Amino acid sequence: MSDTQIEYRRIEGRSTPFYQMLLVLTVMAVAGVVATWILWSEGLHLSGMTNRIPWGVQITMAVFYIGLSAGSLVVSGLYGVFGRIEYKPFARLAAYIAMLFLIAGLLSILTDQGRMDRVFVEPFTHFNVRSMFSINPGLYMGHIVLCVVYLWALFREKKLLTRVAAVVVVLWAITVHTGTGMILGFIPRELHQSPLLPPSFVAAALASGTALMIIVLVTLFRLTRRHLDDALIVWLGRLLAISLVVVFYFMFIESAYRYYLIESREAARFYLFGGFHSVLLWGGLMIVGCLIPSVILFHPRLGRTIPWIVFAAAMVVFGVLCERYVIVIPGQTNPPELFPGMVITTSPLDEGFVSYSISSYEALQAVGVLGIVGLLFVLGLKYLALAPVEARLPRGAGS
Amino acid sequence: MNRRNFLTAAGGTILLGGAGAYGMVLIATPAPGGLMSPRPPSTRRWGMVIDLNKCRPDCTKCLQACRTENNVAFHGDKRWDIHWIRKVTVRSKHSQSSLQRTVLLMCNHCDHPPCAQVCPVQATYKRDDGIVLVDHHRCIGCRYCVMSCPYNARYFNFRENPDWPNRDYPKRSHGVAESCNFCAHLIDRGELPACVTTCQRIGVGAIAVGDLNDPQSEVSRLIDESAPKRIREDLGTEPKVYYVGL
Repeated sequence: MSDTQIEYRRIEGRSTPFYQMLLVLTVMAVAGVVATWILWSEGLHLSGMTNRIPWGVQITMAVFYIGLSAGSLVVSGLYGVFGRIEYKPFARLAAYIAMLFLIAGLLSILTDQGRMDRVFVEPFTHFNVRSMFSINPGLYMGHIVLCVVYLWALFREKKLLTRVAAVVVVLWAITVHTGTGMILGFIPRELHQSPLLPPSFVAAALASGTALMIIVLVTLFRLTRRHLDDALIVWLGRLLAISLVVVFYFMFIESAYRYYLIESREAARFYLFGGFHSVLLWGGLMIVGCLIPSVILFHPRLGRTIPWIVFAAAMVVFGVLCERYVIVIPGQTNPPELFPGMVITTSPLDEGFVSYSISSYEALQAVGVLGIVGLLFVLGLKYLALAPVEARLPRGAGS
Repeated sequence: MNRRNFLTAAGGTILLGGAGAYGMVLIATPAPGGLMSPRPPSTRRWGMVIDLNKCRPDCTKCLQACRTENNVAFHGDKRWDIHWIRKVTVRSKHSQSSLQRTVLLMCNHCDHPPCAQVCPVQATYKRDDGIVLVDHHRCIGCRYCVMSCPYNARYFNFRENPDWPNRDYPKRSHGVAESCNFCAHLIDRGELPACVTTCQRIGVGAIAVGDLNDPQSEVSRLIDESAPKRIREDLGTEPKVYYVGL
């Protein structure tokens, strides 16, 4: 298989299941728009957020989506940056997905604002160079533009531009996710502030993005009855397994550091064993998201079996979603220490540990963003030649 | 020029034009308190001293005065109530005695305010006289300031405020953040903040506001005499609310 022989084909998109899927996604999108409209006009008291929990599920989802985006892009960059020609068939699809999830992240942040109507003016006219929240949207929008340029180069088969754009876009993706990690990691709260958060964000992004690509590729190729060499997915599975080890390593170091230092031990104890978020941390991230998939992916037989790899990938995506929750929420439910050595016994505000529960409006907003991105994805498959008719290892290459 | 070249040129022009226009906006934007400021830079630095030995545990006059003067929302729900000043009681973690201390908590008008640092639209800013305030017409409601305030002194309008007792002062719409602003509108008229006036009027006089740069001011004198403490000084935010008897 040489560089120029890949044939891409749109999906037909005329079957009943296709239209059913469009309908479901449209309903999801409309539900999200309606929920957002109600929240925007009535006030965010309809969300589960409070003055102690000012950031909820939308920020969690934004961080999750941006991670998926950065990770997918790295899969796309396997061809453009590392010259792995066997992954060229996936480059367009992966770059397109990366762009979509960046849009999802931006939509989540946008719909979370109390005064959405001002978002299109004030951040541009009163840019604050010291705010991570000013810098990052610029990075996100730049990322979308770069994705478009990169996709254009891929579609037009511009070799040089593809290489250059791929390198720039992958570096940019790492910057984007480092920046996203800095939004939370640079907050002066005990369970947020951490210089390890940005790199650990990048690792989790790699894991979730690779996992997402595995799921999308296998599902899409099966549904459209196209040939996909197992070896391509097996190698992605290995990449996923390695990134999981890195995710686990960062989480371990960060928690061990907090627990070891006496001054932050109380907060670390709350983080590790303090309630619902701890269940997500141990059950969701550590066991379902890291341990079980690692065992599957490193297993000599299961790690080469496609359904098992897809199963592991699905668990990783769920695990990273849990990780995002654990990064955003407990840092807020854990109270800031106003008076070291003292306790606040009465106050008109909830000064102690608080809990966060997601309201149905917020949940619908998250569903709506998924609906919009899902629509863009399936319509992209129908109107753009994103997916190849087949993906095979080059002849003579070992698996 | 064929179609492909035309599209390339058009795309490039749009990108460059967009970037250029954005750059112009950035350059043309005045710094807060800069070109638009009608007054010369202030030489004052406002600060507050609260004498907890004088403050009565059962008195809430300053809280009420603040709420009325500034139309601060109260919904009767801890999740969304806004408190520009709040009164809390604290006791030692390790002592078995029930000795409690009453403390008034509010925005500390930090010299290095984390809330202003993170505000993506410069809606929260520090005036040159040290007062930290929010431009409610610019705030986009991202709540990054609420996340960043280490004193829980920042609040968000989760719902519309039904009350508007002081018609001479605006109330905030839902969807924006707010906190104590030392009654900047009164200070600018040469008056004292509502909490200070009220506390003096009832004869307690536990709160004093004044110019920290003026060695003759009452606040400077109190700071010299009684070595007051500030809350979480170790954070380096340089709070300007001082507590005697904490």
